[in-house]
Amino acid sequence: MRESTVMFLHYITAILIAVTGLIHLLANNEPTIGPLIKENPVIYLGNMAIFLAALLYHAFNGVRVILIELVPDPCWTKWISWAVVIIGIVTYVVGLQVLLVALGLV
Amino acid sequence: MSTEVKEYALPPEVLEETVKASEELWKPIKKVKFRIYKYNPKRDYAPHWEEYELEVSKGMTILDALLEIKGEKDHTLGMRYSCRMGLCGSCAMMINGKQMLACQTRVIEAAGDGDVIELRPLENFPVTRDLATDFSAFFEKHKTVKPWIIRDEEELDNPTGPYKQTIEEYARYYQFTDCIKCGACLSACPTAATDYEYLGPQALAQAYRYLVDSRDDGLDERIAVVDVAHGCWRCHFAGSCSDVCPRGVDPAQGIQLLKGLIIRRKFGFRPHKPTEALPAKIAKKKEQ
Ligand code: SF4
Ligand code: SF4
Ligand code: FES
Repeated sequence: MRESTVMFLHYITAILIAVTGLIHLLANNEPTIGPLIKENPVIYLGNMAIFLAALLYHAFNGVRVILIELVPDPCWTKWISWAVVIIGIVTYVVGLQVLLVALGLV
Repeated sequence: MSTEVKEYALPPEVLEETVKASEELWKPIKKVKFRIYKYNPKRDYAPHWEEYELEVSKGMTILDALLEIKGEKDHTLGMRYSCRMGLCGSCAMMINGKQMLACQTRVIEAAGDGDVIELRPLENFPVTRDLATDFSAFFEKHKTVKPWIIRDEEELDNPTGPYKQTIEEYARYYQFTDCIKCGACLSACPTAATDYEYLGPQALAQAYRYLVDSRDDGLDERIAVVDVAHGCWRCHFAGSCSDVCPRGVDPAQGIQLLKGLIIRRKFGFRPHKPTEALPAKIAKKKEQ
């Protein structure tokens, strides 16, 4: 993937974190629309799944950027990127599972 | 044919004033201590500092002082310089901790109220000797972004007329043509401090300069070079590069514009149609 695509997604996920994070806060704290969001598992779970994905992408890409600037060797750049992708996917899968268990869906 | 040679002489009062001003400029006014970084990687185990004291005048630049030290106090002093007028970009160094051109900085201004000036080689560059640094990697990075007009056309070899360019098109890249490749920006860049693979502000700003030149046809070719892991996206817009540029170029701005251009390219945008700048005859042929 081109670096511009990776970084473009980095900025998009920043916006997604703000939007989905706000929906999450409303769902848990707002007395009128909060229950409406929480009652609908598709919306609530979908929002949390997007929030988690955006958060992990943004955070792990940030870590990747820091690491490749500290260890700039081109060979390491490749390994760091792959390591971050794998750790990110594993964390996402575990996170989703925790979410499903917390919501009592599994 | 007779040629009459006229002699021009300044009016005596102007001449007297000029001589007085010149004497004033070069009259020693105070003693300044120069603390200079000394290191010969081939011989020395570690760098050390040497101090030299000089009588300085109002008009004396750091380069003048260094040449005096080299001529009269320490013949081994290593440094780079050439034009002595802020054009070649050879004499950039750390003057009291900031990247500056030695030939464009007056000793009195650098010393301020104090009487010690510290001179070090440019940061983020390998030291060749004392104040002289190795620019090979810097020039190599500059070369990577293809700093020339790219055209895949026969008219480059057989031009049929001048390339047209409006003043607005010229204004898009004008400021970046002022770069003298002094390396001050790369030296001040915090990303370059750890990421030696980073292309750096100078090369990236030059990439932008050619990308928005209406005569250039190398959009995708050049984007492929800068849109990489250690390319323009590693710039965090700290702006230190623009802060130190002795020519008033704003490489940080160039890099942000470059990022915007790359993103817009993803959605099909081109900064210009290369045919617009062609001599009329060829443009017509290309459009058919
Ligand atoms: S952009 Fe400025 S500081 Fe950087 S190399 Fe060019 S002239 Fe020097
Ligand atoms: S703006 Fe970018 S290129 Fe300039 S000093 Fe900061 S990180 Fe380096
Ligand atoms: S000697 Fe050329 S810029 Fe200073």
